[in-house]
This record gives sequence, structure tokens and C-alpha cells, in this order.
Amino acid sequence: MNNSDLESYLLSLDKDLVLREKSDRVSITVPSEKLLQVMTQLRHDRALTFDMLSAHTAIDWSNENKLELIYQLYSSEHHHRIMVGVYLNREAPVTFSLCSLWQIAEWQEREVFDMFGVRYQNHPDLRRILLEDEWQGHPLLKDYKDDFMLERPW
Amino acid sequence: MGITMNQLLPKSLEAIPGGPALLTSLDSLINWARSNSLWPLTFGTSCCAIEVMMAAGASHHDLARFGAEVARPSPRQADLLVVAGTIVKRMAPRLKVLYEQMAEPKYVIATGACAISGGPFIYESYATVRGVHEVIPVDVYVPGCPPRPEAFFYGLLALQRLIREGETIRKPGERKKPVLAALPPGITLEQIRSELIANLENKAVVNRYE
Repeated sequence: MNNSDLESYLLSLDKDLVLREKSDRVSITVPSEKLLQVMTQLRHDRALTFDMLSAHTAIDWSNENKLELIYQLYSSEHHHRIMVGVYLNREAPVTFSLCSLWQIAEWQEREVFDMFGVRYQNHPDLRRILLEDEWQGHPLLKDYKDDFMLERPW
Repeated sequence: MGITMNQLLPKSLEAIPGGPALLTSLDSLINWARSNSLWPLTFGTSCCAIEVMMAAGASHHDLARFGAEVARPSPRQADLLVVAGTIVKRMAPRLKVLYEQMAEPKYVIATGACAISGGPFIYESYATVRGVHEVIPVDVYVPGCPPRPEAFFYGLLALQRLIREGETIRKPGERKKPVLAALPPGITLEQIRSELIANLENKAVVNRYE
């Protein structure tokens, strides 16, 4: 499916999906409570078959008090791509784990938990993956501070 | 096998008239050999490794002219640790282990802004070690971000000069003050090459650069 076909097909599936800015791939925003449902459809719909989660990360929009999760998906069968964004509450970011759909999501979600502190429900092994186990805080949040860091002098 | 071990060497190491002179020349001979056979450890953590290990070792710049081309994958066989890249807090203990595994005499060159001071990551970083000297002692600093291969050669020449003048045989583990080997502004690759040729010829090293 090319990008415009993919966009119209997705909008016919679910009216709550919001198309984002034009890019080399289709990008959509999903309401956080519908994430698991939409992702299951993206994974198992025969016309979509997004069978590869190529990247998962987060963006800290601290001035809007929002945390955005980004999922990059690819279909090795149809060779199309999509970017899925989800906005979470920044104070208590909780979402569903996608380990049941893509097994690699286990490590990618561990990294986002490590760096941004997002809690994933139903994750089999949610602990830090890059930093030490006894590390306090989540360093990629904009307001992170610790004793080791040097303040910028300007 | 053609080597005759007579009593000359042990006798001349005694403190007898003429002894100190022989000892001194032995020192310079060993230092000369060491300075021309620096075997670097293959240890690159970021972009400096592309310049220092790949570009400097490849055929255009040809690190082999200095006797430093035998990059060793094992610290047991290496005696030059080129810290080429950013060292983070998780990497620092591993770097220290690698350094301690190397046999004496061992030398350390810190290349690039990250290994010298933390470089672009010095402020507001939760992970970057601010200078590799916080982990291991450094002999020569080569500034640059990353340094060009000729800047690295300039640092290598500084280290070789340091070893030739050094006293590492007498006091293993003891180090001279670290040297900042910054490439002077306006110097060209041709000037470095001609200095190298003169240097190699003066020290009677046979592999002349053509």
C-alpha cells in the first residue's frame, strides 16, 4: 500500500486516529486508552501486517506537561512503514506493554522505562537495561538532576 | 642459534669503572627499541577511532612507518593504550581493567576532546567521565574533535620522544608529567612528513617513507 492508500484505510478503521504532518511515512496519533487495540489491528490486519517494531522511544514535552511515546513500524510483507505517537500524562506515565505483539518490545520498553520512567502494564521483566539497578531517577527527562552533573555556566 | 652468551653482559652491569656509561647506553638502546615498536591496543569508543585507528592505520597515512601498526586485540600484548573516544561511567571500570592488564612499560595517549575533558558532553551529562585522567594516568594528550591523523602522528612523535628521554626502565609505573601535543597552527602534512623522515633517518630506522 502506498502512503495515501494507507492513510485512507487507517481512517476508515478508526475515526479516533489523527493524521500528523506529512513525511516519508504515514504518521498517526492514537488516544492512549486505544493504544493496544490499534496496535493489535496494525499487527494482525492482513492488509497491514506491521510485523516489525523497528524503534520505540519517547519525547519529553516538559513545557506542555506531556510525554510522547513513538513507535516506528515496518511491514516486511507489504514494505510500508508507519509512525505511531501516543501522548501520556507526564506526571504518571502508564501505558500497555506491546510485548505480546512484538517480542523485541520487551527490551525497547525497558530502555524507555530506564530513560523516561514510563511504566508498562503486563511487561514480563520491567527493570533497568542500560543504567545500574540502583540508579535514582530517569536521566532523559528534561528536569533530571544529580550530583555528578555540571551546570552549564552560561 | 648463533647467539653466544658469554660473561660480558652480567659483568658490565656491575658497578665497576665504565659501568655507568654502559648502563646509560643500554637505557637509550632499550628506549630506542621501545619507542619504535609501540603496539597499540584496539580500543575505540567513538568517532576518534575512525580517525586514529582506521584512517591513521590505512595505506594513505600508514601508521606502520612508526612501528606502531600492530594493533593488538588483547591488552596482554599491547603497550600503548590510545583512548579514542568518549568514556562513560559504565565504561570507566572496564577501561581501568584493560589498562591494568597491560604489561609494563605501558603508555597512554588520550585523543580528542572527549577523552581529554569530556568535550561536548562536559555540561549537563549524567554519564560522561570528564577526562580519562580521572580513571588512568595519561602520557600524551592529542587535542581535536576528532584529531586528524597527522595530529595523532604529532602526538605519537611526542610520545616517542618522551620514551627516548624517559626513565621508564629504572622506575616502572612512574610517569613524567603529561604532554599536550597540539599540532601548531599552519603546519602542513608535508612538514610533518619531512620531520618524520629526518627523525627516522637520524634514529637509523630503515623503513624510510617514500
